Amino acid sequence: MAIIEEVKNPVLEVHSLTVVYNKQPAIWNVDFTLPKGQIIGIMGPNGSGKSTLLKAIMGVVDANIGYVKVFDQEIEEVRRKVSYVPQRQSVDWDFPAQVKDVVAMGRFATRGILSRLNAEDKEIVQESLKKVGMEAFANRQIAQLSGGQQQRVFIARALAQRAELYLMDEPFAGVDASTEESIIELLNEMRNHGKTLIVVHHDLYTASDYFDWVVLLNTRLVASGPVAKVFTPEILAEAYGSRLTTLSKVADLLAERRFPMRHK
Amino acid sequence: MDTGAIWIIATASLVAANAAILGSFLIMRKMTMLADAISHAVLPGIVIAYFISGSRASLPVSAGAAVSGILATFLIQTLTKKMKMQEDASIGLSFTFLFAIGVVLISYFGKDIDLDQDCVLYGEIAYVALDVWKINDVSIGPRQFWILVINLIIVVGFVYLFYQRLVLTTFDPAYAASLGISIVFWLYALMGGVSLTTVLSFEAVGAILVVGFFAGLPATAYLLSNNFKQMIFIAVGLGVVASILGYFLAAWVNGSVAGAMSVIVGIEFFVALAVSKLGKFRIQPNHEKVIKPTLGKT
Ligand SMILES: Nc1ncnc2c1ncn2[C@@H]1O[C@H](COP(=O)(O)OP(=O)(O)OP(=O)(O)O)[C@@H](O)[C@H]1O
Ligand SMILES: [Mg+2]
Repeated sequence: MAIIEEVKNPVLEVHSLTVVYNKQPAIWNVDFTLPKGQIIGIMGPNGSGKSTLLKAIMGVVDANIGYVKVFDQEIEEVRRKVSYVPQRQSVDWDFPAQVKDVVAMGRFATRGILSRLNAEDKEIVQESLKKVGMEAFANRQIAQLSGGQQQRVFIARALAQRAELYLMDEPFAGVDASTEESIIELLNEMRNHGKTLIVVHHDLYTASDYFDWVVLLNTRLVASGPVAKVFTPEILAEAYGSRLTTLSKVADLLAERRFPMRHK
Repeated sequence: MDTGAIWIIATASLVAANAAILGSFLIMRKMTMLADAISHAVLPGIVIAYFISGSRASLPVSAGAAVSGILATFLIQTLTKKMKMQEDASIGLSFTFLFAIGVVLISYFGKDIDLDQDCVLYGEIAYVALDVWKINDVSIGPRQFWILVINLIIVVGFVYLFYQRLVLTTFDPAYAASLGISIVFWLYALMGGVSLTTVLSFEAVGAILVVGFFAGLPATAYLLSNNFKQMIFIAVGLGVVASILGYFLAAWVNGSVAGAMSVIVGIEFFVALAVSKLGKFRIQPNHEKVIKPTLGKT
């Protein structure tokens, strides 16, 4: 039985959203609402439409059917309050630029077309780099960064936007365990300041630790709800197909966490 | 050195500067071939405008060329984005098609008009100094030179004012779109600049040198710099050097001026390649200590 929990005063509403590429739907008739002030995981197998969903929410790709509301408004009205972190591989890191130039792009989000950066902007850039532990790399060529460092630069750019809602496409892809831990710590801190974070993620084992809420996608919406309700063997099997041995392990792990007494 | 030589070098330098500035964006977008395409695709527009207006006056010819340049961009964009063709295939198809139409038109109207492929491809920079503009009977220099000065003012103004938008849509289009910036608008704005520059330059230096400048100068500058602004300035500088050295090379071998300038652009590239590769053999000290992230603890 699928779980699709609706919330009151949602930060994001998605209604019958459908995106079709070359006659193939990438997402099909997706409907959900998301609560404010939580860390929300978007999960599903490869090609299940997670990136497409984020792009459609931001208006980076056009929806064929359906619409999205952010803070109860059209995305055009609230762009300044929303920050998008694309998949790291989507840009050419050989572009001749320094780390601080990329992070500064986040400041132009709130600026007019002809404006230049002022001292306050530069301070915010430095501060954002510090938050991701990259302040020593401000003048580094972006071509010389490791994958995990690139990821942190992208997060710093989003932080520099000072948004309320963050949509991050696989911020944990290709980062080492300690960086992953520090990123999730940062996300927790942001959540505690009332920000909402929507994060595409692949690892089922860590998902229940990281997220308050999970959206499971497989072209169609499989489930949307608090992580404890969504992570049942049946629902996971519906999203990922039932053959995965991982799934039963994840379910066991969750059962263990939910009823820890039995094992003590 | 006579004034004719100075005008020729100055005119070529202006073409180089325009192409270097816009070409720097094209190379980072992996779209240099689009400049090549546009420079060939303007031919049918030129021939038709020439035939209708019956003269080689710049204005109608430029207008005709600009229309076919934008048409070529549109055709290529439609084939890649809407028809999902490979980009290189769409470019190759579009520009050979449009150029071939131009060639057919020239041979059809050829007996009536004084225009041939050679002048389109190679230009007539050696004669630039002969076609002067006069104000109250006082010569103020070659017509081509002043047209290209206006071209440069437009290009520099455009890039200076909208630098951030152009860089953002070049480096990370998805992020730019998420900020509400129109990727398509800035693409066509850039291609409009490329069409304009190609059109205003071809009469002086011909399509081959324009493409040489568009592709060669930024590619060389890319090897020599690690900052995009700096790369643009280096590309312009390389263009001026190629114009000067190219002129003297042509004078020395008594050959084509545009051809000699293209050769210098090529030599510049290989020298820069050697320099940048040799530079990599040096062991670079690593100044920054690798620090563990302190995310979230600040
Ligand atoms: N620009 C595009 N043109 C055509 N098809 C696309 C495009 N982008 C995505 N698709 C297709 O749409 C489907 C969903 O892609 P999407 O990138 O949203 O999946 P995803 O869940 O993010 O996958 P992954 O986990 O691999 O990142 C895939 O089948 C993909 O092939
Ligand atoms: Mg994806």
